[in-house]
Amino acid sequence: MESGAVSLYERAYSHPSFIQVSLQKKEVLGGCCVLSTCRQHNWPVAMCTINSLLEAEPMLMGVVYQDLVKALDLQPPPTASLTDMLESYCYGYKLAPGEVPDVFAETPEQLVQRSAALVELAADVWLVTGRHPLPILMACVYVAWQSLKPKDRMKHSLQKFCQIARLPKDACGACKETPLRRVRELRDVLCKLGRELPWMRGGAVEPKTVATLVEDILKHQKSLLLKAMRSYEEEVEQEVREAAESRQDDVLSSTESLLAGQLSGRDQGPVTPAQDVPPARQPKSGESMLEASGGSNKTTEESAPPAGEEHWGRRHLFLPPCARNVKRRREESPGPHVTGEEEISDSEIESYIRSAEEIRSYVEFQKKMTEN
Amino acid sequence: MEQNNSLPPFPQGIASPQGAMTPGLPLFSPMMPYGTGLTPQPVQNSLSLLEEQQRQQQQQQQQVSQQQGGIVGASGQTPQLYHSQAVTTTTALPGNTPLSSTLLSPMTPVPATPESSGIVPQLQNIVSTVNLGCKLDLKTIALRARNAEYNPKRFAAVIMRIREPRTTALIFSSGKMVCTGAKSEEQSRLAARKYARVVQKLGFPAKFLDFKIQNMVGSCDVKFPIRLEGLVLAHQQFSSYEPELFPGLIYRMIKPRIVLLIFVSGKVVLTGAKVRGEIYEAFENIYPILRGFRKAT
Repeated sequence: MESGAVSLYERAYSHPSFIQVSLQKKEVLGGCCVLSTCRQHNWPVAMCTINSLLEAEPMLMGVVYQDLVKALDLQPPPTASLTDMLESYCYGYKLAPGEVPDVFAETPEQLVQRSAALVELAADVWLVTGRHPLPILMACVYVAWQSLKPKDRMKHSLQKFCQIARLPKDACGACKETPLRRVRELRDVLCKLGRELPWMRGGAVEPKTVATLVEDILKHQKSLLLKAMRSYEEEVEQEVREAAESRQDDVLSSTESLLAGQLSGRDQGPVTPAQDVPPARQPKSGESMLEASGGSNKTTEESAPPAGEEHWGRRHLFLPPCARNVKRRREESPGPHVTGEEEISDSEIESYIRSAEEIRSYVEFQKKMTEN
Repeated sequence: MEQNNSLPPFPQGIASPQGAMTPGLPLFSPMMPYGTGLTPQPVQNSLSLLEEQQRQQQQQQQQVSQQQGGIVGASGQTPQLYHSQAVTTTTALPGNTPLSSTLLSPMTPVPATPESSGIVPQLQNIVSTVNLGCKLDLKTIALRARNAEYNPKRFAAVIMRIREPRTTALIFSSGKMVCTGAKSEEQSRLAARKYARVVQKLGFPAKFLDFKIQNMVGSCDVKFPIRLEGLVLAHQQFSSYEPELFPGLIYRMIKPRIVLLIFVSGKVVLTGAKVRGEIYEAFENIYPILRGFRKAT
């Protein structure tokens, strides 16, 4: 593998794309050649790992790697799966018996086994796809370590765990917050599954104490997933039914009040519209109260989002977080329908041109700015 | 709900030991013999290579199941394309009986007639170029136009904007202009004409030569999450997926020549088209593939 990486580097170094690049880029190029060779030999290594060894910018490494693949027309195998990387990643944690006090110690094999199960669960519930691998690996190893001796280890934070395991400071890349977020997400999933354990009897499971249930959850992972999804589907269907029923009730009650108003109006002579019409809308002259009520009903209905418009993810318990936490963007209108050959009005064009006075003021302002 | 959540999609019928590997390992080798170098063909005309293989596998497995007494397997499942094909390469796994491999066989029949996705990608951006046919003094334009900015140290062009259609133009001293931001071809043309008119009003003999749409970008949402790891293994020749660099999968379709950015959330961005038909065609090509990698948890 070493000779493979060296020969790849020699080819890349003499390629026109890399001849006149900076020294930093050439160093990164060496790392990229190592990465490419490792991938070709199915040696699981993350780009972040090589990056941290080189102390280079992740963006630069990405750019150089893509340039390398393009320039030499390489066909690198896809990035290694998380489970492949896990074993070597776990061996980076100094948690073997003898290296740390017994209460913190864990054999690498046990840690790998438990972490692998958590990684598989995380992949199943969409916490892995499209994301950096190292933070999720760190989160899984941390939760796995806690779950192996929960009573003694639950109280230790992720930061403390990294100190105990003597991890380098840049172990998970630039952003320190990401592994914490992954831990929260993983615990959230474990809580959802833990709730379905028969002996929990539907009670709430706290993220801080879910480590005690991890072993049971992983043992019955598949059936708990099914149960959790079924319960969620039933809840959603129930909510939809209730929402539909309450909308129907609203329509009925407003129709009844309208009819009552009409009847009392006929008996008692003209009545101020405000007394009988829902405050949302006053009937205009010539418009019947029925029409006004229908309008206000529409307003009521429109304020609750119709079922068709709710996000499709609402019906799924487990979704990629980016699909679940959708920011509602302002709908941009596609613009007016044009042919491209319309007449262009002079007034519109002139609105984009400065007047002589504006030009004078602008020039004076620029002079003052340059003088200062 | 379209997704079938009644059973986990994989590994179906096999007890998964602790730490069982998820697909993505070398166990599940890429299946698609895209030696032809062609992208999946539009399903409107004929069965794609993919569907042909599925049909052949179905036939083979039906024969096997008949020999074993007609075991049907987990009905009602919608096994994933990646998954079903992976099984044929993993029958040697310990603990895999022919029964369990049959259980994992594709159960969803390949539709006889291709279905349109029913989703229309929306155009988000059109980039066009035009030649104004004369040399331009960018300083004069920047001075006399309200909607222009010019910083020669940063970029050697005037950046001009108009309100309707809401677009931006880069105007170069050679007289060439790039117009971006329009949502349709007609809007792009109208916008380019307006920019040319502004330059004319500023005293330059601007013409409107060789207007051409250079790039169109569209986007849509397939409304289901997508297993990018499976997709990159199955379509290695066309895909690039580096989650450490970019969260989406970059799919370079050859016919039509379109680049698709596919995200786990189901959002798809299509770019590189010269005409809008290419965007629609590319999406119709990719949609059945994406459905194959739609996975209920």
